[in-house]
This record gives sequence, structure tokens and C-alpha cells, in this order.
Amino acid sequence: MQRLELKNVNKVFGSGTNRVQALSQVNFEAKAGELTLILGPSGSGKSTLLTILGGLQQPTSGEVLINGNRFDGKRGKAADDFRLKHIGFVLQSYSLVPYLTVAEQFQLVDKVKKAGNLPPKQFDNDLNRLGITSLLDKYPGELSGGQSQRVAIARALYANPDFILADEPTAALDSARVQEVGRLLKDIAEKEEKAVVVVTHDLRLKEEADRIYQLVDGKISLEKS
Amino acid sequence: MFLALHEVKKEKLRYGLVMGVILLIAYLIFILSALAQGLASQNTAAVNSWQSQSVLLSKDANGNLAQSMLTKEEMPKVSSTKQDQVGLAQGILKAGDARQSATFIGLANNSQIQKQTKLVQGRWLQNDTELVLSDQLKQQGFKLNQKVTMGLSNQTFTVVGFAKNALYNMSPVAYGSLNAWPAVKGVNSEFAGSGIVSQGKLRTDNDNLQVLSKKELFNKMPGYAAQNQTFLFMIAFLIVISIVIVAIFLYILTMQKLENLAVLRAQGIPSSYLIQNTLSQTVLIMVVSVGLGTLLSALTGLVIPKAVPMSFDPVLMTGTAVVLVLTGIIGAVIPMRIIAKIDPVSVIGG
Repeated sequence: MQRLELKNVNKVFGSGTNRVQALSQVNFEAKAGELTLILGPSGSGKSTLLTILGGLQQPTSGEVLINGNRFDGKRGKAADDFRLKHIGFVLQSYSLVPYLTVAEQFQLVDKVKKAGNLPPKQFDNDLNRLGITSLLDKYPGELSGGQSQRVAIARALYANPDFILADEPTAALDSARVQEVGRLLKDIAEKEEKAVVVVTHDLRLKEEADRIYQLVDGKISLEKS
Repeated sequence: MFLALHEVKKEKLRYGLVMGVILLIAYLIFILSALAQGLASQNTAAVNSWQSQSVLLSKDANGNLAQSMLTKEEMPKVSSTKQDQVGLAQGILKAGDARQSATFIGLANNSQIQKQTKLVQGRWLQNDTELVLSDQLKQQGFKLNQKVTMGLSNQTFTVVGFAKNALYNMSPVAYGSLNAWPAVKGVNSEFAGSGIVSQGKLRTDNDNLQVLSKKELFNKMPGYAAQNQTFLFMIAFLIVISIVIVAIFLYILTMQKLENLAVLRAQGIPSSYLIQNTLSQTVLIMVVSVGLGTLLSALTGLVIPKAVPMSFDPVLMTGTAVVLVLTGIIGAVIPMRIIAKIDPVSVIGG
């Protein structure tokens, strides 16, 4: 079973009087089949945590483990390669390439990741489940906020990653769409055996989560497991 | 190329404008190059058509063959079949009321220059009273069998042929007999000619004479070097301007999509792929723009009046086109460096 862990992770920015402790002794775990929520107010360190989980930056100290193996040492091309194969990001904005149609967003993944992407039949099922089959010829500028977010999720899924890391995926959505995206992420975690981690301050997602962490001033606590 | 092609396809107006500007610069560079080549050719066409490598002339002539005068004593004997004695005189060619500045070039019978010169009409001269004129003079109304006078000579000459590429120091050439040269030049028969033109290397031990290579001869022609350098500077500045324009356009376009590129980097798309796409996009923009610029220049060459001295040399145009594409790639260096340094963390959270 896929497992993403942080052990005693600290992240410090700056030094001297400019020193900021963004994360302090963070212990965290996300498992395949679960939707894990990291809740916290702005400036609590959520994004820093997400970027460390995704290998975009290194912790000052502590360990990042994937299935028990250290991941925090990977840098440069090795980190890029790892992200491409194992981690799917769903971001708050600018998530889709504006000059590619929805279908071409997936073709781009094929260009850089030649093997291991979802087989056509399974991907067609995902497109149906996400309700975006009719949007394949449209450009991102022609999509609503909810449609864009579903396409972003589909693109993350297409690379068939083990982990999906979402940064405020419901920020631009109305309440109905928040529920829809929440259910969708939960569905993906359960049916496709992915570990889905969502960083948000949107409390409306709580009811869909299997595991909830609270992050305040860089300190994490487990609220629901 | 995938991203590059789709971006250009989607953003037609934006990239159309970029390509339009580069096309116009390329067009201007091609037209200036053709003009530079055409004007240079008006100075050098005749000498180049002779396949000559060096000339011997009077030191007092300051490198200007048309000003050189050698006495019969000073004029060396022609020592090989690749050498010709020549007599140059710049003067007015008159036919009735028609007057035209021309350079008289007097030659001996069966000269190498005669053999190298291609006639477009008529035949080569057979006596001292016949002339073969530049085909440019034909376009200006001179005709075969027309009676003309040349320079200071009172002799009436008959036009018997027209020669291709017969231009020297911006004026059309009138080939005639070396025996007729003193009268055309207005000097007495003590003078034998202006010097010797050779297809090989000449030497002299006479301190009053000097040997110039073909290149040195051209550079000594009045106005030739200044004219060429002016064009060269204009073309060089345009190439530099094209680098700056490409760099500015690509910089702005890259900055506008920086966040998007950062998202792609976050998703694990390597910066090398994004850099490769920017490079492909630059090459695509430059090749299409320069290609259209070349086509437009070629069309201009078809409709431009013959009086405009433009010469479209395919080798020169290809070389210029390659230089322009390379300048585009240089212009893409800054945007490529920016892409290489994109921090994907910048698009996550806030």
C-alpha cells in the first residue's frame, strides 16, 4: 500500500532576525485509499508542507518517506522524474495550459511521460466519471471554474500517480461545486487506490475526509484518523 | 515542438505580429544586401568577369587604374597568355544628342579579357574604330552599328556588340582597341596604356609602378569602400536590432506565461523540455518570418525597375537568412535562462 510520510520535519526560512520557522517537528502520514485533509489558516505553513510532500523543496531537517524510503534527497532531474511518475498536482490556479485544448492537456503528459499513463479504456471511464468527455475540444478559457478543476484532476489522474496533492482545489468554487469536488477526490482515493492529500482552509471538505490534520503556526495535530 | 506549435496556433494574432516585425526586418536586410551587392557589382562586374587576380599600374595613380598612364618604356612586356595590357579612360560617350558617362577600356587583339567577356549581342571589335558597349547602354537606347564618339577622341566609332557584366567604377564600359586609347584619353602616343591586368600574380621591380590585388584595386576605387562599409554597418545594425527585438518579444511572452510554466515544472515536466520548446518556437518563428521575407524580396526583385542596381545573390540571401535565424536563437537565450530558473514553488499557495 502506497504511503507518504513526514517524520520530525522542520522548515526554516531566513536567518537571524529574519528567521521564520514555517514547520516545526511535523509528523504526517497519507495512505492509498484515503482522502487526507490538511486544514489551517493562511500563513500556517500548509503550502510549505505540500511543496515538501511533493519534493519541490527540501526540509531543513527531518525525513520525507515514500513507502518507507527516503525521498527528501532527490533533487533536479531525479526529483522531476519522480514527480512526473508518482505525484499528481492539482493547483488552485493557472493549472491548465491556456493554449492547449482539454484533449491536448493529456497529450502533453504523453509527450513527457511515454509510459505508465492510464490505458485508454480506464481513462475514458475517468473522463465520464468527471463529466468532461464533452469538453475535450475546448480551451481552458472556455471552461467554468468547476470544469477547469475537474480537468486538472483528470490530468493529474492521467499520469497514473500514486499520490495526488491538491492545493486549495475548491478556492474558486461555489458550495455545490465544493461538495462535488470533495466527493470526486474521495471517490478517486477509494476506487483508484490513490493517496489524496488536500491542503485547504475550506471546512466544507471535512465530511469527505478520512484523515484530517490541523496545521497552526507550523505545528501539526491529527484531528481525525 | 508540441507546446510551441499549439501556442502559435492558438495565439495567431500575437505571434503573427511578432513574425510580421521579423519579416519586415528580414525584408529590409535582404533589400539592403541586394542593393549593396548591386552597387558593388557596378564597380567590380567587369574586373570580376575577366577572372583577374592582380593589376600593375603607375604608383602616382594612387591605386586608380583609370588614372594610371604608363609610357611605352614603363609598360612591361606581357609575359604570359594570362596577362593583358589595358588602357582606361573615363569620358563621355556621345551618339547624336545622347550622352552617357562611360569607361573606355582599350585592349590588344586576342586579349584574355576579350575571351572572358560574354557578348549578349553582336560581335567583338575587329579594328581600331569599333566598340563593344556594356549591355546597360543597350538598355539606355544605344544600338548596333550606331556611330558614336568617346572621350577626347575625334574618331567616330561603330558599335558592333554589347557585353554582359561590363561595368567599372559605377559606369558602363566601352571596350575598344588599345591603339585608340591615347586619343580617347587625350594623351600623346608616347603613352602605351594604364597598366597590366593578370589572371595570376604580377610582380614589378620598377619603383614607379605598383601591383595591386583585385581586392586592393576595388578598395582604391573612389567611393567603393565607403559605400560598402555604409551598407555593412546598416545591415549589421539591423541584425543587432533583430536580436534585440526577438529577445524583447520572447522575454515578454515568457514572462506572461511564467506562472503557467511553473505549474508545468511542479508537475514534473523537465525544464529541458520547456527550454527545447522555446527554442523550437524561436526557430519556427524565425524560419517562417525569414522565409516569407525571402519570398517578398524575390518578388520585389521581379518588379523592381532595372535602373535600380539590385542584385539578389541566392548564396548571399541563404547566408543572410541563416544568420538571421541564428540571431533569433541568440535572442532566445535570456528567456531560456529564465525558464531554466523557474521555481515551481512560486505557484503553490500564497
